[in-house]
Amino acid sequence: MPPIEWRVALRAFAGFVAGVVVWVMLSPLYDRMLAKGAEATLRAFEKPKVTRLRPQADQFTTVDRTDFDPRSKRPGISIRDLTFNVVLLIALFAASKRPYSDRNIGGFLIAMAILTITHLLAVITEVMSIYVGKLGMWSTVNYSDLQRNVWGVANHSYRLVLMYAIAFALWWIFRDPATAPAPAKTKKKKRR
Amino acid sequence: MQRTQVLFLVKFFVILVGAYLLIAWNPVNDRVIVPFTQGIATSSGALLNAIGQQVTVSGTMITSPRFGVNINNGCNGVEAMLILLASIVAFPASMKARAAGLVLGAIAVQLLNAIRIISLYLLGAYQPRLFDLFHTAVWQIVIILAAIGFFLFWSARVAPNRVASRA
Repeated sequence: MPPIEWRVALRAFAGFVAGVVVWVMLSPLYDRMLAKGAEATLRAFEKPKVTRLRPQADQFTTVDRTDFDPRSKRPGISIRDLTFNVVLLIALFAASKRPYSDRNIGGFLIAMAILTITHLLAVITEVMSIYVGKLGMWSTVNYSDLQRNVWGVANHSYRLVLMYAIAFALWWIFRDPATAPAPAKTKKKKRR
Repeated sequence: MQRTQVLFLVKFFVILVGAYLLIAWNPVNDRVIVPFTQGIATSSGALLNAIGQQVTVSGTMITSPRFGVNINNGCNGVEAMLILLASIVAFPASMKARAAGLVLGAIAVQLLNAIRIISLYLLGAYQPRLFDLFHTAVWQIVIILAAIGFFLFWSARVAPNRVASRA
């Protein structure tokens, strides 16, 4: 049976702690950046352009539409609930046997860039899932059942499993295979 | 990236999405996932009572005069079990090895999940300031990391020459 590599586990734990700290510290700025990007993308497909995403002082971002009654309540989304898989990505790359190797850092940066795009898509999906299914009669009138199902499933599946699977897959693709955390091989018995 | 690695990822996502659609289907959710989650709530409630917390369990809710938690999808360990299922089934190994990996992995995930629920209850009751951080990010990632770690360990056990990191 292969032994557990405690040094790999320790590096993953250190990466996990560093990831949590980085994520907590950068989330306010990152949330704003994603809100701006998602707003621009949503508005690019809208006629007329009505969506406004307004980050608030707490961790929520208000989803506003200029065609809504100004007296009605605006729904809010928590963007950081969609982005914490960055901690998983950092922990996985940190578990590498040479975490500071050029290849590992290069791979991490590419993976991080792609993860940011998936975060942008996740915010758009979150907003669309509100539009299609959480605004009562307005949703029913403006969107079909098919649209409700597609955006609803996309949002739910991302939150439940895809956000982790994406981080895992990005690590899998861009890690340094020579130094990736693999449990030590067992010694093979020589055949006589 | 080698062909076997690409094949692993394709299989991983196909199995993951298939398993997700299955558990998200209402009849499966109502007859399997909800009773399973109620079982988790009951066992976690029993453990909390054993350490002196006077909690009552109702369905998927664990409550006391101090605090209450509702165990939903995402907090029942099923998400980590799906990641484990997809990675183990996608990895080239015998059916027996896969079955053993799935059973042992599921037990490990659920043991860790019981610790998660108990610690989240205790944090909510005694350190509510920290509850959100631990609920949203810390424990979710710990459980998934544990599942991935178990998969890497299992893959080295079943195929030492084809460990997951080089598959």
